[in-house]
Amino acid sequence: MVLEATMICIDNSEWMRNGDYSPSRFQAQADAVNLICGAKTQSNPENTVGVLTMAGKGVRVLVTPTSDLGKILACMHGLEIGGEMDLAAGIQVAQLALKHRQNKKQQQRIIVFAGSPIKPDKKSLEMIGRKLKKNSVALDIVNFGEDDEGKTEKLEALLAAVNNNDSSHIVHVPAGPNALSDVLISTPIFTGDGEGGSGFAAAAAAAAAGGVSGFEFGVDPNLDPELALALRVSMEEERARQEAAAKKAAEEASKQEKGGEQQSSSQDATMTEHASGATSEADNKRNDLSDDDNALLQQALAMSMDEPASTHDVQDSEMSDAAADDPELALALQLSVQDSAKDSSSQADVSKLLADQSFVSSILASLPGVDPNDPSVKEVLASMQSQSEVSSSNLVTQQKQDEDKAPNEEK
Amino acid sequence: MACTHDHSCEDHDCSSNWSLYKHIDLAKVTALNEANPGSVKSVFKAWEDRLNSSGEHLESNEGDPELLVYIPFTSDVKIKSISVVGGADGTSPSKMRVFINREGIDFSDAQGMQPVQEWDLVENLQGVLEYQTRYSKFQSVASITLHFPESFGGDTTQIHYIGFKGEATQLKRDVVATIVYEITPNPSDHKTRAETGGGLSQVE
Repeated sequence: MVLEATMICIDNSEWMRNGDYSPSRFQAQADAVNLICGAKTQSNPENTVGVLTMAGKGVRVLVTPTSDLGKILACMHGLEIGGEMDLAAGIQVAQLALKHRQNKKQQQRIIVFAGSPIKPDKKSLEMIGRKLKKNSVALDIVNFGEDDEGKTEKLEALLAAVNNNDSSHIVHVPAGPNALSDVLISTPIFTGDGEGGSGFAAAAAAAAAGGVSGFEFGVDPNLDPELALALRVSMEEERARQEAAAKKAAEEASKQEKGGEQQSSSQDATMTEHASGATSEADNKRNDLSDDDNALLQQALAMSMDEPASTHDVQDSEMSDAAADDPELALALQLSVQDSAKDSSSQADVSKLLADQSFVSSILASLPGVDPNDPSVKEVLASMQSQSEVSSSNLVTQQKQDEDKAPNEEK
Repeated sequence: MACTHDHSCEDHDCSSNWSLYKHIDLAKVTALNEANPGSVKSVFKAWEDRLNSSGEHLESNEGDPELLVYIPFTSDVKIKSISVVGGADGTSPSKMRVFINREGIDFSDAQGMQPVQEWDLVENLQGVLEYQTRYSKFQSVASITLHFPESFGGDTTQIHYIGFKGEATQLKRDVVATIVYEITPNPSDHKTRAETGGGLSQVE
């Protein structure tokens, strides 16, 4: 959230007609400029951005530093390509434009797109850099396009002269399939000095990475920033808790099953959609959470991961005891007692539980009004074999519905 | 212009005279061409510590002895005199030009503008010299900018202490501190006198 006034120096020389960056160097540059302007104005509403062109008939300021994004985007239209870039004059005019900014509290920054060969020699560039440093102006250089001999060296020398406490950066973008703006998004030019625009950058990166599905958590941070933020925060809390619990898991030997969570797992179905869609490291979520909620979530995840059961536990015998009464209630009670007693790590393994036909049929048998030979029940049992998370949660709901139906039918 | 402080300090408490440093808004002090960003804040300290250069000091960049220091105060002050302790080996500043109540001066401005007052400095390593101001011009100073264009031949300019003698008024320059932007008026934010219990008007 640094308060900054930025001047962007665009290279619109003849070298920008080249198509090695798609669709053309100039167009790639224009896209990058648009993205930068958006990022700067988003990271702090009082930031201002201005644009000038360095080639053509001479250095021309298109728009003085303003926070009006529309004005900036509009001025990028109808720019003509031609002439040769004058880097020294461009930077000096940018410095002058920044000096006359309206809000003197803003930090000064110049972003230069250097696409064509550089005419001034290293010495004069260093002098320019020192002058910028003296007036505490930061400089970001985007080195793309033509690769002259000595161009990189000159630009690095310029950066070294300007750089004060790592506030200035240089980025070299080679020609390739990636768009210029995509490459820039991950650089410090966008992310500031680690703060600010990262939210914008993350969203843009997600968009670039692959359409709608690229968004983390399946929610567009731009459309619903609060939801995205809440999901992200809960994800991180989750991870932190797991890491803590993972340490406990290493000590614990036994793993318990949580069959009683069947009833809650259906409620958690929506949560799991988010969770499973979110990260590929759901595999790490094997581990142990003392919290009931997290345990449930995690167990549901385990179902989706279709993990082979490690130990099919004594739960069975316990269950058959309770089976006489209300198996689910008994299970839940057992579970909560065990949780508080041991604070144990448990491997959620409902999938294995359900897979055990005998166990399931024993449960079903104990349920009033459910005939294990009932074709619908058999169907349900068969579908369990497929072991997909959705179907197992559906199964649970179906079971519940069956239970509900059964007493109704009885009546 | 320069007077020598040639009495022993046990007679009276010198430091109380130089206490304007307490009224400096340290967070907003900035310097241009300093080698370590933020080191400028270390030069404002109590009179007794003026020679204590174990901490940081303000140094300009290699090869360029020009320095520009912007000092805002928390309230308007009257400045009687200024004391500057420089570095050894020719790194003391040789001239000082000051500007009053102007923000955002940079080097090209400073070199072009006429200062409110300027002095030729002497090497003042013991911190006993002070430079008197034309008091009438320094009556209500909200911010002061010190420009040190040259040093005594050194590659850089070092400053270990800057002190101000004078008095602080309790006035503040008019700064709009808090502005509330209202897009639509909210009646609950605007209590009429009738509601707060004063006045005779009645709202029926």
